[in-house]
Amino acid sequence: MGRITLDKVTKSFGEVQVIPPLDLTIEDGEFVVFVGPSGCGKSTLLRLIAGLEDVTSGEIRIDGRNATETPPARRGLAMVFQSYALYPHMSVRKNIAFPLRMAGLEKAEQDRRVVEAAKVLNLTDYLDRRPGQLSGGQRQRVAIGRAIVREPAAFLFDEPLSNLDAALRVGMRLEISELHERLKTTMIYVTHDQVEAMTMADKIVVLRAGNIEQVGSPLDLYHTPRNLFVAGFIGSPKMNLINGNAAKQHGASTIGVRPEHLRIVPEGGLWTGTVGVSEHLGSDTFLHVHDTGLADVITVRAEGEVGLRHGDTIHLTPREDKVHRFDEQGGRVA
Amino acid sequence: MATQHSRSAARLMISPAVILLLGWMLIPLALTLYFSFLRYNLLMPGTNPFVGLENYSYFLSDPAFTAAMVNTLLLVGGVLVITVVGGILLALLLDQDIWGQGVVRILVIAPFFVMPTVSALVWKNMFMNPVNGLFAHLAEFLGLSAFDFLSQAPLASIIGIVSWQWLPFATLILLTAMQSLDSEQLEAAEMDGAGPLSRFWFIMLPHLARAITVVVLIQTIFLLSVFAEILVTTNGGPGTASTNLTYLVYAESLLRFDVGTGSAGGVVAIILANIVAIFLMRMIGKNLDA
Ligand SMILES: Nc1ncnc2c1ncn2[C@@H]1O[C@H](COP(=O)(O)OP(=O)(O)OP(=O)(O)O)[C@@H](O)[C@H]1O
Ligand SMILES: [Mg+2]
Repeated sequence: MGRITLDKVTKSFGEVQVIPPLDLTIEDGEFVVFVGPSGCGKSTLLRLIAGLEDVTSGEIRIDGRNATETPPARRGLAMVFQSYALYPHMSVRKNIAFPLRMAGLEKAEQDRRVVEAAKVLNLTDYLDRRPGQLSGGQRQRVAIGRAIVREPAAFLFDEPLSNLDAALRVGMRLEISELHERLKTTMIYVTHDQVEAMTMADKIVVLRAGNIEQVGSPLDLYHTPRNLFVAGFIGSPKMNLINGNAAKQHGASTIGVRPEHLRIVPEGGLWTGTVGVSEHLGSDTFLHVHDTGLADVITVRAEGEVGLRHGDTIHLTPREDKVHRFDEQGGRVA
Repeated sequence: MATQHSRSAARLMISPAVILLLGWMLIPLALTLYFSFLRYNLLMPGTNPFVGLENYSYFLSDPAFTAAMVNTLLLVGGVLVITVVGGILLALLLDQDIWGQGVVRILVIAPFFVMPTVSALVWKNMFMNPVNGLFAHLAEFLGLSAFDFLSQAPLASIIGIVSWQWLPFATLILLTAMQSLDSEQLEAAEMDGAGPLSRFWFIMLPHLARAITVVVLIQTIFLLSVFAEILVTTNGGPGTASTNLTYLVYAESLLRFDVGTGSAGGVVAIILANIVAIFLMRMIGKNLDA
């Protein structure tokens, strides 16, 4: 079981309130991702749940029990740190067995669980090495191994993949998702990587300055962002945000159109501009369009290749059903 | 240093330093070796005949030699234990956020800046003196009779004085090592269910191993040659109770004016120091490998 409830939790460092009162419920077995810009309090929130920081006020409940004052070791949570935090002087085997040893398990049972975890994580050949003799991805797996042997109620990950290269990141992302499928344990995952958030999460929590801006499934957030911040934050490349007359015509103070929802038409589109840089990805082309009178740059995503060059004139039409409208306060207009 | 020319120029440039260093070390060493084979007593000037190993057999068979050996090892070992254990405890304390941290740190470092002779004299006259010393007053206040540290427990007293001098060094090195420990490792251990003692034993102590090795090696080198503290407090006595090898060599050559035996003692001391060094490197040197 791993149902975690935060009830009006706040956190201040000295005078500075980093987390204003915050409510959040994480259901058992859910994969929840915290995203948000740097410094918005993602790590702090995770550390509050872990018990590594004391809450300033409010209550944290794990499986219905008040855990606000419970020390980290007794919350039944396991954490994977960004720096891995492996114990450098212990072999992989000892690293993974450490929580079991601290729990006073029998040696035979320790060994059994370590071997089992090593099999799951493809670490069997490395059990007798030191962390210093492993690659980044292997270290990450050891850190995960150390977390799973304890059979925790929930896993906490703080940007676990940010030290890995792009290819390895994709691989580890899949492994963690698979692990979640298999274990069905609650996982809370902090990242600022769009793709990780969108692909892994059952539920995304978007944070800004300690506030929850929106909670929802990845597609929820993509299709119906609740405000301008979420609209601009979720999606890559970013949504085009347009003020002024064009927005007024749609009856809003700001409208947002995702690059993939702009069609290039040969003649007489709604908007006209000049093509600037185009980024060719093979499958897609991102065009940066200037001089539209709408915004500095409008990004357009075109499928495959387009025959437009730097300086060409381009006509654009948004898909009307995909235009997001926002009022003066930045809230969504239905 | 690519060309022949620049290479020879470089050699020319560093040669004064090299020659000075060689002279500095080799000449005294060679002379010591040379004197150790002569009958050379300042009270009997004139001929200094070559006597082979006589000085060595005289020095090594002297009962004072065995006593000095034991004292030297006790002194080095005792001070090492006290400074390493004390240093770890102090470093743990100084690593906490305590009020007045800056002042406390300076106070801890202070003994290192006091000259050995001065600190030994301060200890001898102001603390350990059986009549005027602070400890004597304290004992009197408690209704006990004063303890004459330097005659009752001369070696232990000197170990205390020398430890007091070296504690700051150990503390400083261990403190910096402790501060370089990744706090996430401690947090990970905390989440893994390790209590404060387990965290100290399984995470901190192994992390400190290298710093402890450095402290032990450096201190051993200096502690083998402790001299000033003994000279100004006990003069190696009573008897030979607080005579170490360094002091014995001094006593032979300058109190008995026997340069030959003193030199032989010096050579023995060098050999013993190297044995200790090899022994130490075997034992803990592997901690220094990355
Ligand atoms: N120990 C601390 N003392 C004071 N302020 C802190 C402390 N830890 C974090 N903060 C502040 O709290 C805010 C949130 O920090 P946090 O580490 O949670 O950000 P984050 O969302 O994890 O950012 P990033 O994506 O860069 O890791 C920051 O403004 C930071 O300066
Ligand atoms: Mg962070």
